[in-house]
Amino acid sequence: MCVVSTNFGYRDREMASQSNDPRLPSAARPYKPPVIPPQELPVDYSGFIAVIFGVFGAMFRYKACSWLAIIFCAQSLANMRNIENDLKQISMAMMFGIMGLVTNYMGLGPRPSPKS
Amino acid sequence: MAKRSSSSLLTSPLSIFLPRGDAFLYLFALLSIFSLLLHHLSASSAAAARPDFEGFDAEEDDEFSLGDPKDDIVPPLRSTPPPISLSTSTPESHHGPPDSDQSGIKSPPSDQNPKPASTSAFDYWDEDEFEGIPQTSISSPEDQVTPESAPAGSESDSGSQKLVEDPKPDVKFSKKLASFWIEIACVSFLIMFTINYFTGKRENENLALAWASRFATKDSIFDKNFSLLGVGETDDSPLLLQDGKNVFKFYASGRRFCSGLLATMELKSRHDLISRLYNMVVPCKDEITFEVYMNDDAMDQVVFALARKKLAKTMQKEMRDLQRFAGLVNPPNGRKWVTDELQVVSESKEVAGDLITDVVLDQVFGEKAFEKFGKGFISMHFSDQHLGSAKKMLVFKFALPDANKMADMTRLVALVPYYIDLIGRYKLSSHARSKTEASRSKVAQEIYKELQNARQEALQKKKAEQRKKLEEAETKLSAEALRKREAKERARQMKKAMPKMKMTKA
Repeated sequence: MCVVSTNFGYRDREMASQSNDPRLPSAARPYKPPVIPPQELPVDYSGFIAVIFGVFGAMFRYKACSWLAIIFCAQSLANMRNIENDLKQISMAMMFGIMGLVTNYMGLGPRPSPKS
Repeated sequence: MAKRSSSSLLTSPLSIFLPRGDAFLYLFALLSIFSLLLHHLSASSAAAARPDFEGFDAEEDDEFSLGDPKDDIVPPLRSTPPPISLSTSTPESHHGPPDSDQSGIKSPPSDQNPKPASTSAFDYWDEDEFEGIPQTSISSPEDQVTPESAPAGSESDSGSQKLVEDPKPDVKFSKKLASFWIEIACVSFLIMFTINYFTGKRENENLALAWASRFATKDSIFDKNFSLLGVGETDDSPLLLQDGKNVFKFYASGRRFCSGLLATMELKSRHDLISRLYNMVVPCKDEITFEVYMNDDAMDQVVFALARKKLAKTMQKEMRDLQRFAGLVNPPNGRKWVTDELQVVSESKEVAGDLITDVVLDQVFGEKAFEKFGKGFISMHFSDQHLGSAKKMLVFKFALPDANKMADMTRLVALVPYYIDLIGRYKLSSHARSKTEASRSKVAQEIYKELQNARQEALQKKKAEQRKKLEEAETKLSAEALRKREAKERARQMKKAMPKMKMTKA
């Protein structure tokens, strides 16, 4: 028990110089990153929301939806963990969002009013 | 003019009901109709000759302005046109040169008596334009009876109208602004998001580095307890492994009783403005979780957890090993125990008593010490029945303090090696051991039964599926047989019919 209690004493210099060292270099094992199957990766909700907003914005030509899609794309991009998996979804959402904006601002510009 | 108005009567509904497919444009059209209505009303009484209204949105006016009278003003007027059309000479005499016309329609020059003083009132009005203007504002009785009093009255009228009109450029401007508010808001949000991304990332990194420099550098607590620090194999490998933007991992290995320690810092998503805003509503903490993987021979059958009362209860309900083996332990009489805020969950009183030592009570979990040093404590969970790859594991969860107050959690971090040694040396008494073994075998049996049940169910399912497949195949076969029979029958009938046909032909 006294050995155990010295762990708290490590903050104190006098106690630190103890003979029994808990370190065991022979038992050291390098770090192995756990392999996570792609199904169990955390779901990228913001990317999902971005896709939905992007589709809505492009379909119904709601500017606000397209802008929201772009914002959620940015969030998804900021939270990206591994590039290969997430980039697909993000790029898709980004494409929908940009497409919505383009159709909004280019396709439906100020039309000349029919003059008699 | 009449022609003009009739055409506008046609175009204005068109302009309103044309399917543009954009709600925003409708809104804009409505707004401009409304503003033009206002404009028209005010202009009818006075002041439209002011220079600000020259060329005031001629296009829109073409589209909408002439439709307005039809909508709102005409009905009351159609009933009483005579007084307006009657005014042949007297009002005309007041008309100055029609220098500008808000609706883009130039009235024919009717400047018989150019009178600059009265320009403010009616000069720009064509006679026909008075159709569709409120009677009161144009041809008041005084106007017809005493022409001299008219200018003054209309002047004052225009003055009052000016007051109404003045905010109109502002309205126009704010309308334009309002039509772009989405773009303005979104772009500014995106800019803020990018700025916050970099600052937040920096903040998180600083916090993680502050922790690492406090506890994982040379002569620090982990350096004295573990021979290998960091995620790499060599000594100069990085200490921290960044996983995502807000998760940092620290690995240590090479110590008695345990094969490794993994500390996972889950910081707030400071880099993400949206979750940052969300965290303003639902606050969360920076957490660090230590997972100590104990050697198989170094941990006895211990199930133990310690947390604040509420959390301890939920843990007892939700964690499988605690739920199966452990229960809430009441504080024993006649002994110093953890502070009231904490709750022990354990397999037996003996284990709880042995694991909560006087040292721990004195340093962290006692009444007085906890107030000072226990602020960041969240939970502690030791179990030899953890789910997953490592069964025997100690899990510590603490909240991280600010980057410059890292020293506050020194005692909490010191709990980790302390408990590794304590549990590594701990042996249950024979009585307790027999109890735990009994419960474990019981649970193992249950699990085995469950497994068997599951296996049987799976077998039955498989059998059912096979049966289904066979039946389907049979039905298919029978269907084919049916089809064949039908085909044969048809052929026979054809054969029967054929001679008849021949007969009739013959």
